[in-house]
This record gives sequence, C-alpha cells and structure tokens, in this order.
Amino acid sequence: MFIQALLIGLWAGIAGIDQFNGLTHIHRPIVTGAVVGLILGDFTTGLIAGATLELVWAGMVPLAGAQPPNVVIGGIIGTAFAILSGQAPEVAVGIAVPFAVAGQALITLLFTAYSPIMHKMDTYAMEGNTKAIDRLNYMGPLFLFIFFFIISFLPIYFGAEQAAGIVGLLPAWLISGLGVAGGIMPAVGFAMLLKIMFKWSYAPFFAMGFVAAAYLNLPILAVAILAVAIAGYDYMSQGNTPKATPVVASGIDEEEDYSDGI
Amino acid sequence: MASKEITTTVNKEDFIKNTYNDPTIEKVITKKDLNKMVWRSLLLQASFNYERMQGGGWTFGLIPGLKKIHKDEGDLSVALLDHMQFFNTHPFLVTFVQGIIIAMEENKEDRATIRGIKVALMGPLGGIGDAMFWLTLLPIAGGIGASLSSQGNVAGPIIFLIAFNIVHFGLRFFLMHYGYNTGTKAISSLKEGTKKISRAASIVGLAVVGALVASYVNFKLGLVIQAGEIPVNIQEGVIDQIMPKLLPLAYTFFCYWLLKKGKSPLTLIGMTVLIGLLGSLVGLF
Repeated sequence: MFIQALLIGLWAGIAGIDQFNGLTHIHRPIVTGAVVGLILGDFTTGLIAGATLELVWAGMVPLAGAQPPNVVIGGIIGTAFAILSGQAPEVAVGIAVPFAVAGQALITLLFTAYSPIMHKMDTYAMEGNTKAIDRLNYMGPLFLFIFFFIISFLPIYFGAEQAAGIVGLLPAWLISGLGVAGGIMPAVGFAMLLKIMFKWSYAPFFAMGFVAAAYLNLPILAVAILAVAIAGYDYMSQGNTPKATPVVASGIDEEEDYSDGI
Repeated sequence: MASKEITTTVNKEDFIKNTYNDPTIEKVITKKDLNKMVWRSLLLQASFNYERMQGGGWTFGLIPGLKKIHKDEGDLSVALLDHMQFFNTHPFLVTFVQGIIIAMEENKEDRATIRGIKVALMGPLGGIGDAMFWLTLLPIAGGIGASLSSQGNVAGPIIFLIAFNIVHFGLRFFLMHYGYNTGTKAISSLKEGTKKISRAASIVGLAVVGALVASYVNFKLGLVIQAGEIPVNIQEGVIDQIMPKLLPLAYTFFCYWLLKKGKSPLTLIGMTVLIGLLGSLVGLF
C-alpha cells in the first residue's frame, strides 16, 4: 500500500501543478481517475469513476477567480476510495467532496501566504534581477507539488476515517476566516494599482465602472466597451490638433501632478 | 531620480517613471522570442496570490522580451516593477495581452499608456475566456470523454486531452502572434497624440478597475441582528440598501488611503488576514 499511496501522491502533485500551471487538463477527473485506476490495478473502475467525477465537476470551474472544491483532490481521492472500498462511483463522490472542500481551504491559505513573496519580487524588479524573479516564480509549482502530494498520500495511506478526523480538527472559524480574508485580499492589489493610476480627473470614470458592475451587474467586458465609447468621445471632443503640440515622447505628465496633494 | 538608487526607502510608486532613459526605438522582437514567451505563459499562475493574483507570473512571461527591448538597466527595472502590479486575466488568453504589450514596449510607448491598455484588456478577456473555455470547450470535451470512459473505453481520457489541447495550444500561439502584429500595426497609427491616447487608456483602465473592485473583492457580512422580533440581515437589509458592494469599495479606498499615508502593503495584508480571522471568530461573516 505504501508504494501505491506514494505513486498516487506523486501523480496528485503533478496534477496539482497542472491545475494552475500548464493547464493541459491532465488534472481533470477523467484523466486522473484513469491513472489512479492504473496505479491501483483496476483500470476499468478508474475510468468509470473518473467519468462520474468529471461530470460532477463539470460545473465547478473557477469563474471570475472564485475557487470551487478542488477538482484534483476530488478526482484522485474519490477514485481511489471507489476502487479500494469497492463502492459504486456515485458513493465516491460523497467521500471526495468533503476532502475537496478542505483542500480548497488550504489552497486559499497557500495563495494568501504567497502574497508577501510579491514584495520580494518587487525588490528584485527594482534591481533588474530577472533570474531571481524566475526563481521565485518556479518555487510556486514546487509548493503546489508538495501540498498535493501530502494531501493525497496521507488519506490513502492511513485510510479515510483517520484522515477525516484530522480534517475535522481544524476549527471551522479558521478555515472560513482564511477564506474570507482571501476574498477581501484583492482590495489590497487594487489599492496599489489605484495608487499608481488614480488621478482625480479620472474619478468619474472609476465611478462609472463601479456603478455599472455593482448596481447593473454588467460583466467586465460590457463595462470596458462602455469605457472605450466614452474614451473615444472624450478623445474626439478634445479637438483633433495633434500638430499644434509637437509630441515628444517624454515629460508629458505635468498636468496631472496636482493629484499628489490629496 | 536615478534608477540606480535601489534602497528600501525608495517608494515603489515613485520608482515607476513615465519616460525612458533610452528612448531609441528598435525592432528586436523575433518570432522565436514570441514563442519563448508563449511557453513562459504556461507559468502565469505559478506565483498566484490574492494580493496581485497573476502579477508575478505575468512579469515572468514578459521577461525575455523586456530584457531584449530595454537595454538600459534603469528602464528594465521600471518596466519589471510596473508589470509586477496586480494582474489577472484568463490563463489561456493571456498571450494576446502579452503580444500587444510587448509590441508597445518595443515601441517605447509611455508607461501610463502601456499600463492603461494592459488593465483595460485583462478584465474583459477574463470574462470571454470563462465563457469560451470553462463554459464551452471544457464541458464539450469533458462530456465526450466521459461518455466513452463510462463504458470503460480507454479512448475517453485520450480524446478529451487531444481535443482540449489542440484548441488550447493553438489559441495560445495564435493569440501571441496575432496580438503582437495587431499591437505593432495599431501603434504606428497611435503615435501622434501620445498624451491623448494615454488619457483615453487611463479612462478605460480606471473604469475597468472600478468594475473589478465591484466584481472581485468579496467582502460581505453574514451578521443577523434582532431588531425587536424581526431578524435583520445586516448585509442584505442594511448595507445593500445603502449601496451594493459598499464594503469592497470602502475597503479598497481605505487601503489606498493607508498606502498614501506610507503604510506598507505587507501591513495591509496582515490587517486583512486578521480581519478575516477575527471577524469569522466573532461571527461577523
């Protein structure tokens, strides 16, 4: 069992990387199920369980950045338990989903923990040290591999009941609190973007975009088209006199500097 | 400001200038460079995090091009730091933005314009990509594969992978070259009136950021209080009545204000985690 659990862990690590990097979709249950079937010596059950889990996760996709229950953990643990327990693939779904939800909470934690790394990257950017930026970027998949390896190896090696007990030990407020923090976190990124881009003369357009999305629930594309229309109108109504101001590609930002005082 | 002075005291936002030390325009990007950047785009989400999302991976993807274009070290640093900011788009369509942006970098457009175009493109492509891949290609390929697999047919996963990846990689390479060519063509007509273009790009960029704040920042209260006999849901009953997405907007500008006050982004991250944990402990969410 150790060798099989090890192989499944390694496979989960690879699939986990693929979920976020590469995206060749070898991480979908239809593929992971078949491979787990191969490892556990029951290829046909693996195929069938994979197909069942694939359809369960068909609607659970990362829309607008929101992360559904983790598809890698769900596919791999679900198929493994279907084969090991001899249960029907449908039962595997019930086992797979709680693990996938817990796994996603931990991934939220991982993505939160990676935020400070960006400031290291900022420093390297200012030094022009591209090699160091490359290195930090390669580290992410490594963490993903380790994470997915552990979270798939342990439950399969020790059995479901013990693993479920460990999942249950995490206090609920901790998991949900990290999820909440992850949801709010983009505000920090937007604030930094605003610090660079925001000028009071552009505030009306920011307000327009916000209202269109918050009140009218318009998708981002619709907001962008509206904004392009407004920008086009603004562009043309400024008077088409590019000849009057010979444009030098430097030093053109003076007019907007007054925003710094506010 | 000399770009050589790299100390932690240099404010990151002041570091990003709008102009170049070396403004000479030279065509240096080859097809090979573009392909190299396509392969790098596979690691777009390698350093994914909630603060900047794909910012690190996006910069990583542009590095071969940026290094070739900006031979001046100071210019390279500024470009790298500028791209390191918040970025999020659909991971399959990113090469289109990469192509356009690399064409603009090669043409040494001013940084505000590049930034504006980048931000204006990333949001809409996110929505298009969701519709194209998650809601169309994946269900179709997955459905065909699953119907074969459920009969115990080995072809299930194989056909799924082939169908999915022909479209996936085909689009990645096509969009990079298409984006680059579009970028270079469009730029020559944009060259006059840089200031006006920069303004137009900023208008679109800020409108999109406004929409992103409303759509991406997920800050809701789950608190229900008893007003006499009647339970009142604070989020739906009070806050949403004042203004939907009030909390995301207020929190974003609170962070903006703190940044302007000179607080470090790390402090803001710590504060956000603390709010999440404490709020969840006392049942605020």
